[in-house]
Amino acid sequence: MSRGCQRGAQVLLRVLTVAVFVALGLLGFGGDAAHAQGDDGDDAAQVVRGRVINEREEDGERIRENVAGVRIVVETESGEVVGEAVTDDDGAYLIGIAEPGDYIVRLDDETLPEGVSAQDGEDSLAVNVRANSSTTRAFFLGEDLRQATGKLGQLPQTLFHGFKLATIIAITSIGLSLVFGTTGLSNFAHGEMVTFGALLAWGLNRAWAGVHLIPAALVAIVLSALAGGMFEVGVWRRLRRSGTSLTSMMIVSIGLALGLRHLFLFRAGGDLKQYGQYTRQRESLITLGPIDLTPRSLSIIVISLLVILGLAFFLLRTRFGKAIRAVSDNPELASSSGIDAERVVLVVWVLGGALAGLGGVFYGLEYGIRWDMGFTLLLLMFAAIILGGLGNPFGALVGALIIGTFVELWTWVLPSAVDMKNVGALIALIALLLVRPQGLLGSKERVG
Amino acid sequence: MNWELIFWNAIYTAINAGAAAMCIVAVGLNVHAGYTGLLNFGQAGFAAVGAYAFAIPIANYDWAWYYAIPVVMAASVGLSCLLGLPTLRLRTDYLAIVTIASAEIIRLFANSTRFTWLTGGSDGKQGWTGFFLDLNPWPNGGRYRLGAQVFDGYRLFMLVVGWSLVIIVSLLVWALMRSPWGRVLKSIREDEDAARALGKNVVAFKMQSLVLGGLIGSFGGLMLSAQTQSATPGQYATNLTFFAFTIIILGGLSRVKGPIIGTMIFLFVIQIVDNVLSQATRNDKIPGWMATTSNYSQVKFIVAGLILAALVVFRPQGIFGDRREQVFDVR
Repeated sequence: MSRGCQRGAQVLLRVLTVAVFVALGLLGFGGDAAHAQGDDGDDAAQVVRGRVINEREEDGERIRENVAGVRIVVETESGEVVGEAVTDDDGAYLIGIAEPGDYIVRLDDETLPEGVSAQDGEDSLAVNVRANSSTTRAFFLGEDLRQATGKLGQLPQTLFHGFKLATIIAITSIGLSLVFGTTGLSNFAHGEMVTFGALLAWGLNRAWAGVHLIPAALVAIVLSALAGGMFEVGVWRRLRRSGTSLTSMMIVSIGLALGLRHLFLFRAGGDLKQYGQYTRQRESLITLGPIDLTPRSLSIIVISLLVILGLAFFLLRTRFGKAIRAVSDNPELASSSGIDAERVVLVVWVLGGALAGLGGVFYGLEYGIRWDMGFTLLLLMFAAIILGGLGNPFGALVGALIIGTFVELWTWVLPSAVDMKNVGALIALIALLLVRPQGLLGSKERVG
Repeated sequence: MNWELIFWNAIYTAINAGAAAMCIVAVGLNVHAGYTGLLNFGQAGFAAVGAYAFAIPIANYDWAWYYAIPVVMAASVGLSCLLGLPTLRLRTDYLAIVTIASAEIIRLFANSTRFTWLTGGSDGKQGWTGFFLDLNPWPNGGRYRLGAQVFDGYRLFMLVVGWSLVIIVSLLVWALMRSPWGRVLKSIREDEDAARALGKNVVAFKMQSLVLGGLIGSFGGLMLSAQTQSATPGQYATNLTFFAFTIIILGGLSRVKGPIIGTMIFLFVIQIVDNVLSQATRNDKIPGWMATTSNYSQVKFIVAGLILAALVVFRPQGIFGDRREQVFDVR
């Protein structure tokens, strides 16, 4: 979209927002705001109402949130105050005006949260109050450019974002890597397993029922694991038994991915969805040195790291984990030494499905849920596991770290081309293949 | 339900300029996947490079169209080298993943706000098809009929140009694949080690195949945008590659007629599905919870994906293919 277009879209959005608020006001939905203000708002025949909204970009997505506790003043053109109010929890204000006429609605800069200011300096708006009517004026806030930190100062925050993305890529790509290791299949439908988990949790959380996100996510993970198992039993095991080549299976997986992806779009729509909990955490930011992080991001990182540690323990120390690694190394040898390879593969699919579901919920929490999120993530996952060495689950971790960092560093180096941020990671992949095709931790025999 | 229009529109979709362009893209992919066994998942990238390398010099720098042709060829060959050099020595998976990734890079680049001055961004690049309008012997605004379907003179001209190009590239591929060079490609597909043992430079042959198929794909992409008079990133999403895969498998891999027959059958089926749903949702023949006017158009992609998966499993030789020539067995 061209800049002019974007500008136009923004104006359109504002007009629409105002229109919606006017409509809500007419329908009486703003009613509770009137009680929140108390004093002189109730009895006045004419009111000025509206909302204070903060708009910001996070990871390329436009996020809007209502700002509470901002003082709004209505003045005459000569500066005489005729009414004032403080925005409530929904960011709404309502001010009763005694006499109809031309006034100015101003927002008190002193009461704004730190780091934000009115967009384009528009902290006061003209308003024509007519008799017995409600007039709406909304204020839009944005990042305070006067307080922007230096480029170098943003680096730790950028690297933190990269690390956050890396943990999510790591969680989702381990399943992909294990499936590749044990069966040799590059499963292009793995991204759709991620979307499946995210959408399922969203459905339970928002669309079908109002289940809290944590139980909803747990159910989604279990169902994703089941779906992974069914995928293996219903499709891949049959194909392997009928002697279908790996290349054919790869094309089958991409056909299924294409179908599933559009099934998600068909059923759930193309908009960006948010979960009902843990999404608005701007007020509760935790500051760790130069890094600001939400409790949500912190939990995601901690849980992801715990899951990864648990997996590492499982793969390295338990009998079954060793069996998985044995099958990855040499399926025939593993079978002949008494390992049930089919069962190992089934467990790998179930495990991969569960991890994809978990990663999908995490990704959805951080970046929103979309029908094609899995496909976007798939390319990063492939890049990660190739970088780390195909088939090596620990390589996937190293690769994920590099890919996550590259993606976020791109936004730091080239903030004007954020919509291309995945490009850096994919270029890094191609460059590494030129010099070290087996990946960082891969063994040479897997190549060629 | 207007069955007459549904039918004729699907027939038109199966033979129009867009179908011809799709067919050329598939002919290129057939050189890779069918004859050589190269799993190129990024044919959409070659197509996009073809369209933009043609559109940008003409629209931005006022080049004559015949000077833009070498730019298309150079860009396409350049992309082949970029993709081929790191991956052709490796397992097929690497080529598949790197090509799908680069096709996505190219699309993101064309879609990017930062480079709107160059590529036109998500609105697409227009203003480079004027010479097609000038070359057109039929009046551009003329009205022509195919059954119940009406189309204009420009579409008719692009249809003729498109299918002429299909015939030229198909004959070229047919001749090349009969030559000793083509037989080396097939031997690489059948058994790479045997070809190597006979002293053939396998990587060089694969590279040549990648370049040839990529070039054809680029011209297909050029035609794909020329018939809509606009090069838009949306035309070059990964779906394009997998439609091309479905087409060549449907028509029979490594068959000269394969892409042509495959294109017609595939687009006809897809368009029938789309048209029926379009009419059914508009006339409330389908309950709203199943499909609505706003989401019915996704069904054709679901169908396409399932056709691709089912074909590979149940009928890998396609409708007319030879089972012995069906070899997705490359390592």
